[in-house]
Amino acid sequence: MTRFRRYARDHAVPLALLSPAVLVILLVVLLPLLFSFYTSFSNYRLIRPDSLWDWVGFRNYARVLGDGDFWSAFGRTVLFLTVALNLEMLLGLGLALMVNRITWGQRTMRTIMMFPMMFSPILVGFQFKYLFNDTIGLVNNALQSLGLASEPIPFLVDRWLAFAAISFAEIWMSTSIFAILILAGLFAMPKDPIEAARVDGCSNWQVFRHITLPFLMPFIYIAMTIRSLDVARAYDIVDVMTGGGPAGRTELLWTLIARTAYDDARMGRANAMAYFSILLSIFFTWFFFRKLMAARRHLGAF
Amino acid sequence: MSRAMKDRLIWAVTFLVMLIICLPGLWVVLSAFRTNGEILTKPAVWIPQNLTLDNFRAIFGLGENVLAIPVGSYFLNSLVISVTSTVLAVVIGMSGGYAFARHRFPGKSGAFLWLMLSRTVPGIALSLPLFILWSWIGLIDTKLGVIVVYTAINVPFTVWLTEGFFRQVPRDLSEAAQIDGCTPWQAFWKVEFPLARSGIASAGIFAFLTSWNEYALASQLTRSTDSKTLPVGLMDFTAQFTIDWAGMCAMAVIIIIPALILTFLVQKHLIAGLTFGGVKG
Amino acid sequence: MRQLKIALFAAVASCALTLPAAAADGEKFDGYTLRVKLIGGAQYEPLYTLIPQWEKATGAKVEVISRKSHFELDREMKQDIASGNIDYCAFSSHTNFAPQYAVMNQPLDDLIAADTIAGFAPLVISHATVNGELMSLPRHSDVSNLFYVKSLYEDADNKARFKAEYGYDLAPPETWAQASDQAVFFTAPPNRYGTHFAGKDEGIAGRFYEMLVAEGGALFDDDWNPTFNSEAGVRALNWFVDLYSKKAVPAGTTNYVWDDLGLGFATGNVAFDLDWAGWAAFFNGADSKIGGNVGVALAPKGSSGKRTGWSGSHSFSITKQCDNKPAAASFITFLTGHDAQMLEARTGLLPTRVKVWDDARAEFTAKGDSFMVEVFDVWGQSMAEHAFTPPLIPEWGEIANALWPKLQAAILGDMSSQAALDEAADEVREVMEDAGYL
Repeated sequence: MTRFRRYARDHAVPLALLSPAVLVILLVVLLPLLFSFYTSFSNYRLIRPDSLWDWVGFRNYARVLGDGDFWSAFGRTVLFLTVALNLEMLLGLGLALMVNRITWGQRTMRTIMMFPMMFSPILVGFQFKYLFNDTIGLVNNALQSLGLASEPIPFLVDRWLAFAAISFAEIWMSTSIFAILILAGLFAMPKDPIEAARVDGCSNWQVFRHITLPFLMPFIYIAMTIRSLDVARAYDIVDVMTGGGPAGRTELLWTLIARTAYDDARMGRANAMAYFSILLSIFFTWFFFRKLMAARRHLGAF
Repeated sequence: MSRAMKDRLIWAVTFLVMLIICLPGLWVVLSAFRTNGEILTKPAVWIPQNLTLDNFRAIFGLGENVLAIPVGSYFLNSLVISVTSTVLAVVIGMSGGYAFARHRFPGKSGAFLWLMLSRTVPGIALSLPLFILWSWIGLIDTKLGVIVVYTAINVPFTVWLTEGFFRQVPRDLSEAAQIDGCTPWQAFWKVEFPLARSGIASAGIFAFLTSWNEYALASQLTRSTDSKTLPVGLMDFTAQFTIDWAGMCAMAVIIIIPALILTFLVQKHLIAGLTFGGVKG
Repeated sequence: MRQLKIALFAAVASCALTLPAAAADGEKFDGYTLRVKLIGGAQYEPLYTLIPQWEKATGAKVEVISRKSHFELDREMKQDIASGNIDYCAFSSHTNFAPQYAVMNQPLDDLIAADTIAGFAPLVISHATVNGELMSLPRHSDVSNLFYVKSLYEDADNKARFKAEYGYDLAPPETWAQASDQAVFFTAPPNRYGTHFAGKDEGIAGRFYEMLVAEGGALFDDDWNPTFNSEAGVRALNWFVDLYSKKAVPAGTTNYVWDDLGLGFATGNVAFDLDWAGWAAFFNGADSKIGGNVGVALAPKGSSGKRTGWSGSHSFSITKQCDNKPAAASFITFLTGHDAQMLEARTGLLPTRVKVWDDARAEFTAKGDSFMVEVFDVWGQSMAEHAFTPPLIPEWGEIANALWPKLQAAILGDMSSQAALDEAADEVREVMEDAGYL
């Protein structure tokens, strides 16, 4: 106790400055998580409030671990994150490089570039649900009008097309975030090393590969970290577009959790699954955060 | 090719790419001015036959629709909730960011990482326990309840951005100001804060966009016109057995425009803010 | 809320001219504000334009605190139960979901006069009864029968080719096997498919369930052991699997729910559609590409000779926590009264009061609307003779959720019907064990 008191006295100012942040997060994140952690060991069902006290030990976890549907959703989520984050990064990089070269009207162009960021995830879901609809969807209508397809293409049904469709929606929504962060990096870049390299006769590609890209890496990692913080936003999109179906072909952890929790009202089991999804998110963030720290150190040595 | 020609070409290509990227979004905007019968039909009607403001009229209750969507209340709720939570998140985040940047204390880097990780908890994992907690406290269906949640969501990111910024500001400046007779608070407010302004602006715009567009949590925590936000209001168009897509698009336009204007206004700061905030230091 | 009320008021001003003022039986609740949660949607909301009449007659005010689709309302009310946060008096319910709300649902037997209840169809009242207690007042019923595009069935060329190919006359299908033949026959992608079905959520689970019954199977035995992975179950599921593999339904049908079906049929994309009567006026009206060209027939029979007839009723309930139960009872009685049901019946929603069936039919006859008369005859027969509900237990939602992803897997060809049903049966068994049935 005295040790704590001494610590508090010695660092009173930073602790006071930090306390609002810590308090609000304790209230909104930690407290609910403690509650849901408890319920993950119970047979808690929403429609039977008494079941909150029905302790079942590790049964929920055992069942989740033994559930093939859960693991395929888990694997699909990892794949989804990997595909989406990497493509968003590449496309964002391309966009940023293009916008960076523009000299006239760049401010307007930057705003246009951020246009998809203005769309609420739920709206993005509806938008692509209708674009990819198999009978009245715009994409199918266009393909048929142009004579590129004679039969409707079931974008939201076929195993890989459906996965591609939800990835496409997610990428459409979030590429802007990468682009804007990487653009910030390009703006911050010192011009001297590039000019020196050109004087030495380096090609455009060599300049990009050995000077621009290493400088941009921290920005890319920061974008990755920021994105991995709220990847679960994709839940809104997928829930609207396919609801995880058909036959679980687009089931991600989040859609599975939501259905178990709200439609089945099986909170205990849903919360057990939620802990796996939290661990997954933490892993992705931690991974990029470490990369970011390493890149920062590298940049410091520049 | 002359340099000017090349510049123009690059501009044209970039514009074209942007246009393609924006197409799905533009389709939504265009649909807001068309009728459901024209948008979702087969064979497709490619060239709008008649553009109409009926969808907007219906939303505002001027049409012959049975029930109007209370878009005015939703808009006001969204505005109050987003602005308040953004301001709170920026103030709280700044205070935390300052502590991390200027002070040494044991457990600092661990605390920083944990703060970040608190943001990774998926909304869907949080929504139900939060709902039950909030209903015990009586915060369900109140603007305050949503504001507190959005503040907490946005704090980690604002801490991060502002921390990078305060590290950029040389410590000597504040010390010099204090030697000249400023209190620590005056030194911060008059010297350090102005230098970190663009970082704060970019933290603010990200926080605002997150709050403005958030759906998963708001859909659980809000119930009525007392607190429902615009994205939650979108679901009013998906009534039992029918979805009014054109109406939804009209509402989408109402959601997008303020966000777009705001972004256009502050995006100069946004770029500058992101440049220094997260990476250097 | 204010805008909502203004809109309600504006709408009722026009209705009041055409409707006789509803007779309230003299009850007064001056100054009381009744808080309610109501189902929303184009087909549900016209009824609410009558609410000001009740307000005027009783002196009470109605505050609609939620107005959303039933699935959303269902989620919301489960949360209300969990948090104990029930600060409203009346709510929209559905007979098939009502058992879930037992904790907050006030039995009505002592609140509603016996002669009021006597005005309702006995079958519908029995569907609204759980464990011997009346849980809700049914508002309108739901059962599916066949809509078909008349011109396709009357075309002489179609008739001749069909007869040559299948050996019997082309007519609206009497059995599901015939329906299957005809669906394949009429398919001409991408512009027309034989039929379509609700392929996800409770929709496909319910469709499978009614096929299972028509094939002579059952979901459970008497001890609540799942039995739907029987031969009858496989036959029921195979009906969907076959149509899908023969491409006689749109490939996207596994993502369709009710609104997709209604819009799809009205666009003329399919030859026949099994659907509720709520669409009838829309299908045959000016906004539909097949307006004036729609025929109706009873839902076909399965191999057991029984017709499909998955049914349920939208209804109104009162909460146990309600602080003025007589007011709430008066309110839901008003909304399920004769005039209220007539208003809904005009669009094709099926009344729950016996007298409204007759009066609505008489009104259609007087107006010379022979299509709606036919709809009422067909759906009336269906409600009287063929309608059945899923098991009225709180677990129906969970059972449906355990079923439908597996049904989809079989339909899409990811696994065999037997394997899919076996897996679903295991999951359902777990649900029933956890809930204490087994």
